[in-house]
Amino acid sequence: MPLLTESFWLWQFLGRLHPMLVHFPVGLLCVALLLEIVGLLRKSTELRAGITALVWIGTGSAIAAAVLGLLLVNQDSYAGATVTTHQWLGLTTMTLAILTATALTTRQISLYRGLLTLTIVGVSATGHYGAMVTHGDDYLSSVLPSGKQPVALSTTKFAFASTGQPLDEKQVSQLNLEVRSILAHNCYSCHGANKAKGGLRLDTQAFVLKGGEDGPVLVAGFPEKSDLIRRVKLPAGHDDAMPTKGKRLTDSEIALLEFWIKQGAPWPVGPEKSLYRVAALEPRTPALPAAPADLNNPIDRFVNVYFQQHKIAWKAPVDDRTYIRRVYLDVIGLLPSPEEVDRFSTDNQPDKRKRMVQELLNRNADYAQHWLTFWNDALRNDYSGTGYITGGRFDITNWLYTSLKANKPYNQFVRELISPTKQSAGFIKGIQWRGTINASQRTEMQAAQNVSQVLLGLNLKCASCHDSFISDWKLTDAYAFANVFSDTTLEINRCDKPTGKMAGRKIIFEQLGTINGQAPTAERLRQLADFMVQPKNGRLYRTVVNRVWAQTMGRGLVEPVDVMDNEPWSQDLLDWLATDFVANHYNIRALISTILTSRTYQLPSVALKDADLLTSPNFVFQGMVRRRLTAEQFADAVSAVFSPVYPDSAVVAKVFPKQIKREIPFARAVFVKNDPFLTALGRPNRETVSTSRSSQANLLQALELTNGTQFNTALNRAAKQWLTTYPTATELVKRLYLKSLGREPNFKESAVAQQIIGASPGIEGVQDLIWAISLHPEFQLIY
Amino acid sequence: MKANWNRREFLQKTSAATLAALAASAPVASLLSGCGRGAKPGQTNGTADTVILLWMAGGMAHTETFDPKKYTPFETGMEGNRVLSTFKSVPTALDGIHFSDGLQAIGGVMDKGTLIRSYVAADMGHILHSRHQYHWHTCYEPPQTVAAPHLGAWIAKELGPKNPVIPAFVDIGQRFTVGEAEELKAFHTAGFLGHEFGPFFIPDPSQGLESVRPPVGMNTRRFERRNQLYNDLINSGPVGEFGSDYQKESLKRSMEQAYRLLNSPEAKAFDLSNEPKASYDTYNTGKFGLGCLLARRLTEQGARFISVTTEYEPFKGWDTHENGHTRLEAMKKQIDGPVAQLIKDLDKTGHLDRTLVILASEFSRDMMVEGRPDAKVLEQVNQPDILSDLKFYGMHRHFTDGCSILMFGGGIKKGFVYGKTADERPCKTVEHPVRIDGIHQTIYHALGLPPDTHYDVEKRPFYSTPDGLGKPVMDLLT
Repeated sequence: MPLLTESFWLWQFLGRLHPMLVHFPVGLLCVALLLEIVGLLRKSTELRAGITALVWIGTGSAIAAAVLGLLLVNQDSYAGATVTTHQWLGLTTMTLAILTATALTTRQISLYRGLLTLTIVGVSATGHYGAMVTHGDDYLSSVLPSGKQPVALSTTKFAFASTGQPLDEKQVSQLNLEVRSILAHNCYSCHGANKAKGGLRLDTQAFVLKGGEDGPVLVAGFPEKSDLIRRVKLPAGHDDAMPTKGKRLTDSEIALLEFWIKQGAPWPVGPEKSLYRVAALEPRTPALPAAPADLNNPIDRFVNVYFQQHKIAWKAPVDDRTYIRRVYLDVIGLLPSPEEVDRFSTDNQPDKRKRMVQELLNRNADYAQHWLTFWNDALRNDYSGTGYITGGRFDITNWLYTSLKANKPYNQFVRELISPTKQSAGFIKGIQWRGTINASQRTEMQAAQNVSQVLLGLNLKCASCHDSFISDWKLTDAYAFANVFSDTTLEINRCDKPTGKMAGRKIIFEQLGTINGQAPTAERLRQLADFMVQPKNGRLYRTVVNRVWAQTMGRGLVEPVDVMDNEPWSQDLLDWLATDFVANHYNIRALISTILTSRTYQLPSVALKDADLLTSPNFVFQGMVRRRLTAEQFADAVSAVFSPVYPDSAVVAKVFPKQIKREIPFARAVFVKNDPFLTALGRPNRETVSTSRSSQANLLQALELTNGTQFNTALNRAAKQWLTTYPTATELVKRLYLKSLGREPNFKESAVAQQIIGASPGIEGVQDLIWAISLHPEFQLIY
Repeated sequence: MKANWNRREFLQKTSAATLAALAASAPVASLLSGCGRGAKPGQTNGTADTVILLWMAGGMAHTETFDPKKYTPFETGMEGNRVLSTFKSVPTALDGIHFSDGLQAIGGVMDKGTLIRSYVAADMGHILHSRHQYHWHTCYEPPQTVAAPHLGAWIAKELGPKNPVIPAFVDIGQRFTVGEAEELKAFHTAGFLGHEFGPFFIPDPSQGLESVRPPVGMNTRRFERRNQLYNDLINSGPVGEFGSDYQKESLKRSMEQAYRLLNSPEAKAFDLSNEPKASYDTYNTGKFGLGCLLARRLTEQGARFISVTTEYEPFKGWDTHENGHTRLEAMKKQIDGPVAQLIKDLDKTGHLDRTLVILASEFSRDMMVEGRPDAKVLEQVNQPDILSDLKFYGMHRHFTDGCSILMFGGGIKKGFVYGKTADERPCKTVEHPVRIDGIHQTIYHALGLPPDTHYDVEKRPFYSTPDGLGKPVMDLLT
């Protein structure tokens, strides 16, 4: 593991001597063993003096090699299983060498011979892994007759390449796709729609055949006469070599291009297949897989198939205490009280978990107060922020809260966001700054971008400035969609420069319907809303079920949750959830209920060592991914368990329905304006859409929690109250644990806690104990 | 989000805070931290390790400060168009270079720095302080689809703290309880880089210590005991059952680091009462002056990026919509002594060699022209053509076409003047126009950061300056 970013040259220099120095132990110790064998055969010890020298020098160099090796791995960027194996083998071998030398010196000859042999085995294995690090995993095996493979086209995909048969239509299309993919990744940045160096573009058939200023780049059927092949084969640094920037093409990529030209550089007629993964738009209903009788929740049956494929065994569900804490936090955002935990644990009915979820989901106001945070982030809604003082922004709080409380069906919810009433208009109205702004940030384009991102998991931001480099979306698509939201016809701007062309009007996925471009804006928005919420818009519903899944399971079926074209870890499960959601009348609470009552949700939580693993394409699902409480959950937990963090006066009541003050148990953090405390804990400033929060702690946050006034004042108040209620140390510690962590302290914890607050507890001691508990990982995590 | 070179890839995985914690805890790591990119810990491979931004909030008129024009004294009933400067010019340490009266002290240290007279602010159709400030600090015009990071956040992300216990990005002097606070918050942020690289706020420099000491009413002994208890409780609980995860590890690590900072000898740097009285008095022209003093003390202890502002509040400070002349006398008194003293002190201790100090403002002002000479923007100030009262005597309109910037230290040329504005109205840039991406890239270059620094956000590259096109103004550098 590298310790530091860039290192002092001497360490790096010494480290890089490692590959040279390692040959000493290899050579010396091998010769030592050889001579030992010779001596053994001759039954003589005359070589022993030489052998002893060899063993000692060999051992010394082994130690030196190991030290330099450790320097190297810390200084340069090495990582991976091979390096780790090499490292441990090396250290083991070094230890063996030392033992060998010791045995030899102390004249334990048989032991020494055994150890020397072991050392040689170790040296060989270490050397082998070392070679794999420097020369590649297949350094040895690639030259073996069985390991030798013809260059490229060997993949099963292009098995047809070697048959010599003419290609069929499907094969041509596949070959062409591969070729375009190579050109896109290596050539488009200079020879594409945005730049045509040397007059050459390689992004369409016509341009490829036309060539550039220096003439044609390929001669169909003759790769050897094609300039394109000549140039990619030239050594780097040659004036004509391509690409001039970035990595060189691999041998297999070149071979593929050659094969394609030899075939006559075929280009299929009709619509081209996309270079990018594009998720299906239409819904799909996968059949429910068969499963053992105890897995009757459909989610579990799909997960069961996934587990079988990945050889993962079902673990036992979590205990009652863990479960009730999870569902409380996921449904209403609050911790269960000790009494509620008790009642739940002692309930003996088999359906108690289902009932608990239902009871929580029925708490309309509490549910709305938790989920409001998520939707505020996603819909960029806040009670303060840029634009409000200049009338360039409108909040949708009242509408949003009321909708969540009433569990408004999601199709209706989306309809009202897109074709809004005055109350819900803030989302598509965007944020208007005074003065001229970049064309890609006009409010109509903000509407197109935000509707795409939040509701469809689609990134239209690139295409709102120029044709996208990361998808097939074009500038004209983005403008046509933005134009639907516009009272006047938008002029297309490319990279903030007017093009003179006027935008059309169409929905981003044309298959969903045709917008009447002549209709007034309100009518157009009604049409758009109707088209968007149709059951056949599978993407809308996949996007929302994936978001709810991510909120409750710590990670989406698709990640990032805003890129719904990415591959889900279970397509069947995602598709089933989406169609079931539609069949259940777009009922978000029913969806949450299905998830929370599944065996899958009840699996023990999974710990990730690195935040990056969360969005890694290699992610393997094994259960809920552990999360940290959100800023709001944490503040509410402190408020409910210890003492309110916010006074009632902090609630921004005027943007909520009139009866709001009667509906809130205390000043929950979702109702207050953003402040340094909440910011430090991860509440975003809602200038832009935000659909996930980081679980990682950092220094600024820790400082806020360590000496921030807001937090410490609340703790001080809490200490006074607790001390009045529980004057004895034992009882106080026990109650604190029960209320905050849902369990009694163990013996050691109790001792530590009591030691701090003393036999006759004072405010300071109690405050410090409350502080320590509220920063305890067990309090901070949803596990 | 994926970074574009190895070092950053590493920083992204192992946050700066982690590195700092490592460097602060393990002896091996601290040994190695002494073997960083340069010869000393925290040193960059550029010419500067620390940046201090002295922010003249509200629009500082170039003709009244560092680029004076013909002085015309006030007479009742005079024509406004006759007035180019309302102050006399005074000589500086540089031959033939004059400053406006009241800036003699800064003029006296100009042999140690560079004067840029040709900064051209963006034309955003409508002059709005917060919008231009957003642009100056992030290099992007609001609004943006992606939350744009502050200059200081880029530096914090790329270089991490210079001294592990001093936050990498310290922001001194701005309160967020004043007008347009929300617009100010929009750019006082690390944006998509993550809160970790955002500003550590010290709104009042005389209260700096409050931010870095144990909570009010808690003595050191109790603070240490509390921390000990915290660790003991974690160790005695069954947390281990839950296995190891990044959330828990990062929490423990950050708490440890916060504890170290609050308990470190360096924290004394935040306490201005430790400053000798004579020196304290020199700096004490008010909040801004004390901010300069705090910046100096933190620089000596190893700060990375510090911003000190005269504080933006609509119609206050440099934002003069009337009484411009009289108010500028006060503003100059506020900045002249402390800025000059800061440069002298840093120079004396040798810190100026690797500390880049920048003094700048979002745009300039003029008595007659609003915005840019050739661009029509909304009139915001009621400024009569005939000055019937002293209160109309001053630069009350917003001017974007010629502004002054000072730079000192960290590889910047000494005694150098760059660019020129016209001597007659409109006093606009006529030579070497410098734009904000050039300023940012000059700063990055001095810090050894490449101009194409970027991260992939939502699969799109987001560069430290738009499209990665900004270039350092090499003429400013030695």
